[in-house]
Amino acid sequence: MKDFPRLIARFAVENEDNFEVITVYDHKIQREFLDKNSPVLNSISSIYTTATWFERKMRDDFGIKIAGTYDNRPLIHHERFPAIYPMRKEFQEQEVSFSQYSPYKYETVKGEGVFEVPVGPIHAGIIEPGHFQFSQEGERMLHLEVRHFYTYRAIEKSLEGIKLLDSREIIEKISGNESIAYQSALFNIIIQASSIKYDDKLKKYHCLLLEIERIIHHLTDIGFIPNDAGFGAALSFASQLSEDTRVFLKKISGHRFGFGSIEFETKEYDANMIENFLNTLEEKVKWFENWIMDIPSLWDRFDTTGTLNKKKARKYGVVGVVARASGKKVDSRDNDFYKKYGFILQNESVGDVGSRFKLRIKEIYNSIEMIRNFIDEALHVEQPKSFKDGEYMSFVESSIGELFMFVKLKDGLIERFYARDPSFINWQALYLMMEKDIIADFPLINKSCDLSYAGSDL
Amino acid sequence: MIKFWKKRLQNPISTKNLEFNDELKEIKKELKSVIAKRFAGSLAIRMVSSGSCNACEAECNALSNPYYDLERLGIHFVASPRHADAMLLSGVVSINMYHHVLDAYHQMPQPAHIITLGDCPLLEGTFKQNFAIKGAKSLNLPISHHIQGCPPEPKEIIKGLLEFIKNPKDF
Ligand code: SF4
Repeated sequence: MKDFPRLIARFAVENEDNFEVITVYDHKIQREFLDKNSPVLNSISSIYTTATWFERKMRDDFGIKIAGTYDNRPLIHHERFPAIYPMRKEFQEQEVSFSQYSPYKYETVKGEGVFEVPVGPIHAGIIEPGHFQFSQEGERMLHLEVRHFYTYRAIEKSLEGIKLLDSREIIEKISGNESIAYQSALFNIIIQASSIKYDDKLKKYHCLLLEIERIIHHLTDIGFIPNDAGFGAALSFASQLSEDTRVFLKKISGHRFGFGSIEFETKEYDANMIENFLNTLEEKVKWFENWIMDIPSLWDRFDTTGTLNKKKARKYGVVGVVARASGKKVDSRDNDFYKKYGFILQNESVGDVGSRFKLRIKEIYNSIEMIRNFIDEALHVEQPKSFKDGEYMSFVESSIGELFMFVKLKDGLIERFYARDPSFINWQALYLMMEKDIIADFPLINKSCDLSYAGSDL
Repeated sequence: MIKFWKKRLQNPISTKNLEFNDELKEIKKELKSVIAKRFAGSLAIRMVSSGSCNACEAECNALSNPYYDLERLGIHFVASPRHADAMLLSGVVSINMYHHVLDAYHQMPQPAHIITLGDCPLLEGTFKQNFAIKGAKSLNLPISHHIQGCPPEPKEIIKGLLEFIKNPKDF
């Protein structure tokens, strides 16, 4: 189990005379070449459960047949999706008509007294669309199927054939609350493909923005989690802090979500203003932490709810907050650069809602500390004019978890773009957290993971 | 709990320091009286996200924080389209959401209004029409009002709602 490589991504690229399936693990990359006329890929889903979505996606995108899988259902091709394989190069349609309705077969548990509860795609709250199908035995959840890809916007396809620098405008809007992470991942690729040096000052500025994005995400969640357990006052308090931090992000980056901020120059900012803001924020978070820790009825709901143990976390290769709350030490920031500026890998061990809540608070403190160290002078770097053709990959720790991005450049244009949002992996492990709980706990558990729909659907 | 009440007594009002507070106060005053007149005291909104990047939803969630606190003006987000006067539609209307948006609309009591939120639904921003992006116009439903921005800030959403309330087309 120790040397079990972690599956990071599995996706296809269309070459002139074959389909190339690239599988990225934490320590190796594997390539398989498939015949273009009748592409068949051997499934690895019996070893890696999370390979399932990757493979179903390839099936829908390219029409690659998956052999030896237990799940041959469509992923992106919903009930009225036309019979097309949009990621094939030959597909160039800008408009398609709907096809006949064909129902989707949900994974369900059958038995006497077992019933299903469908939820979605439109939810009661203000949230993105997605579908959850519960198999229930009274209150007890027997199974949950997560079905997404309602926000599928064909972003991978729409980036093909455009210049690398022109892709920034779309990529920053793949998943709004991870915008800075996406921009950073792309910037990394821009640096690799050009001959410019990633100046430390610039890098520090980018990392500073990324940590602010993370703080906002965590602050939002530490308000919503108690709120979903029936304690609204926490949300009122924490949502003020996240609003303050958004206003702060706008002061530094020019935009409340940091759109367009990962650039070749840093904005001028006032170090004192940042210092003051961080001090006040830190103090308020500490107060909040003391307050919440002191409410036993909340911890009755948080503790032992939605548990993902370490063994399963490893088996499913989950990433980010979910992984670290279960005691898995994965964080893309775990490197010398970040450590130099005060990064300390935070983790918890139990893997329940309470662990994820506590982890988020710990990470806020660490992010505040790092931002203090990232403060530096303003800088302007010349924008590169040309890029070398080739394949590039980058990893960034978004506020949800490890984000993986792949770009292949050909004749100076994007030939293939692929991004694996941390949510794409974690969504597939969500059902594991439901096994011992009742349906009323679902919003709480879901919120404690706070995954992105838009990022995973693309 | 004691700690909490102590803090409440020390800092009773949280909206004090925001720079746009005065402006907001004006909007709020105006909004309240129009809603009372036109929507019998409350405007019920059903938010439908049809393929957005989630920043537009985040800004709508921010409307409930104590700085904006939309509910105290009589505007509230409801959990079902059957309770709604207006649908606040964000996102590009993706191929997989198209029919669900229509379904939600047809569940609303008439007269039902659609307010489009952000640059996405009218395809005015980054995302342009493609085989997976249909746009709100393809729904062939009357759109009563549009709030632009990417994403529109909470303050702009409040202003936009005010404009809608003052002058909803097809009213
Ligand atoms: S309008 Fe902008 S912020 Fe809103 S969903 Fe679209 S891309 Fe995101």
